[in-house]
Amino acid sequence: MRRFLNRLYLASGILGALFICAILATVALQVGLNVLDSLIAWIAGRAVGLLIPSYAEFAGFFLAAASFLALPYTLRRGGHIRVNLLLQHVPAGLRRWLEAWCTLVAAAISGYFAYYMADLVYASWRFGDVSPGMVAVPIWLPQTSLLLGLVVLTIALLDEFVTIVRGGEPSYEAQAIEGVLESLDETGDDAGKRGGG
Amino acid sequence: MEQVLVGGLLFVVLLSLLASGIWVAFSLMIVGYLGIALFSSAPVGQVMATSVWSASNNWALAALPMFIWMGEILFRTRLAEDLFAGLAPWMGRLPGRLLHVNILGCGIFAAVSGSSAATCATVGKMSLPELKKRGYDERLAIGTLAGSGTLGLLIPPSIILIVYGVATEESIARLFVAGVLPGLMLVVLFMSYVGIWSLISPSRVPPPDAAMSLREKLWNARRLIPVVALIVGVIGSIYMGLASPTDAAAVGVVLALLLAWASGTLNRRTFVDSLMGATRTSCMIAFILAGAAFLTSAMGFTGIPRELARWIGEMGLSPYALLAALTVFFIVLGCFLDGISVVVLTTAIILPMVEAAGIDRIWFGIYVVLVVEMSQITPPVGFNLFVIQGLTGRNIFQVAYAALPFFLLLLAGVVLTVAFPEIATWLPSRMAAQ
Repeated sequence: MRRFLNRLYLASGILGALFICAILATVALQVGLNVLDSLIAWIAGRAVGLLIPSYAEFAGFFLAAASFLALPYTLRRGGHIRVNLLLQHVPAGLRRWLEAWCTLVAAAISGYFAYYMADLVYASWRFGDVSPGMVAVPIWLPQTSLLLGLVVLTIALLDEFVTIVRGGEPSYEAQAIEGVLESLDETGDDAGKRGGG
Repeated sequence: MEQVLVGGLLFVVLLSLLASGIWVAFSLMIVGYLGIALFSSAPVGQVMATSVWSASNNWALAALPMFIWMGEILFRTRLAEDLFAGLAPWMGRLPGRLLHVNILGCGIFAAVSGSSAATCATVGKMSLPELKKRGYDERLAIGTLAGSGTLGLLIPPSIILIVYGVATEESIARLFVAGVLPGLMLVVLFMSYVGIWSLISPSRVPPPDAAMSLREKLWNARRLIPVVALIVGVIGSIYMGLASPTDAAAVGVVLALLLAWASGTLNRRTFVDSLMGATRTSCMIAFILAGAAFLTSAMGFTGIPRELARWIGEMGLSPYALLAALTVFFIVLGCFLDGISVVVLTTAIILPMVEAAGIDRIWFGIYVVLVVEMSQITPPVGFNLFVIQGLTGRNIFQVAYAALPFFLLLLAGVVLTVAFPEIATWLPSRMAAQ
């Protein structure tokens, strides 16, 4: 079970990252086509109008998918911002209660949100809503990515809650700033190695 | 009036939720939920799903992960070393000498990265040891770094201006261009302060390094050329209307990857690290924006921002008095909240009030970022302070004390921008029509 959940969270992060690559690929390709188009216009005197259909709309869908699919992974890695001034200055016992409160409240909101997202996806599917651009995408398709992300996020939050109640440490403890410094150390080491080698 | 009280109550609830440690995005959603559920009969869940969906699939917001990724890639190259080696030889004659490397290095890195903490960390890890070795005043070395690190927020590409632009539906391109002159103004303010300080106390500035010939200086600076070209290309194409910020950002990522590849720092690990880092940061910000989008429509249902605007309007404050009050409010809020949260709260609640006072939205965006910059170096929660604490081992209050003059310089920058709004509005008004 533990292994399955950890893999689920990691997979969500990787999927999110792939959608960010997809944004890059789409937008960079379109910019390349624009450049090519100007070249053709300059040589042949007439622009062809090379265009990826609905590319801006696709970039938006990819962004929504990347943002929401990566939610549980970002949570586990301590990527979401919170104010931990109080948490850092209370005794360990009270801190555990506060962490339990935070994860439970967050799980409740996330679950509520997921329920109504499912409602929205169902409504879009039932009424056959399509996107307004050149390529008519059934809108429930990109909306499902939000639903999936929220469902896994709810699972991840409940997972953290259970861990805390059982007396364990939540997995998101690593702080954002420490992350920055860690990667600094890494690059520093690399530079040192290169210099030495 | 009643709504203003209710608004105050919801604000207290929000602060309590945040203080108890609930993640910012969830806190915003809970307050939005309470706002709708208590004060209107609108279907809360449906409003939540639709407002978040329409805010999340957004072409302009796609610039966010791209610019973050570009910064993450360059952060893992040897840019920091290149900046120091390239800039230091030129600073020998200026009063204050290598202290200016901190300021200019941060200014340049800010133009490829939208993050203040990353700017501070990248420049500081290289410059602080070098300055210490040469015997520069530690307080000023830390202060210049803390202060100039905040330039990452203002000088485009700026993550926080993308957040402001998306939340207020303003043109991100115009906001970026508006941030250029105020950013340069701060660089000039910081450099003047260091110069004047050094002229007053010359004994505390160590002697210059051995002078270099112009050829040597240029040779040392050669590795900065691609980065400067990247900056000019990205900002220039936005300014001239050739590319939208999202287009420019995607091209920026491609060029940053090429740069990293050419400098031999691109491998599987740095690529994956930069991509996953960008995924996390952009996910975190997008989720806060989702919470803010829901909070904004919830506030629309409650009518609180409108009432607040009317209430402030009835008090007959001049725009200057309003801005003075807001500045104090933001500084206090910024002591405890991160910059992005301050900005989304502003756009959800305060913007109608600001518009009612006849203040330009683009200008206000720059003003908010300036004030948020100040909050980066105020204890107890100031991200740059944490970064420098990590770099130097000094405690956060020592770092904050060293940064105090730069806090005051930022305040002077705010006053100048209020007195001469053209600092922020002139350049965007000259932009090519979009």
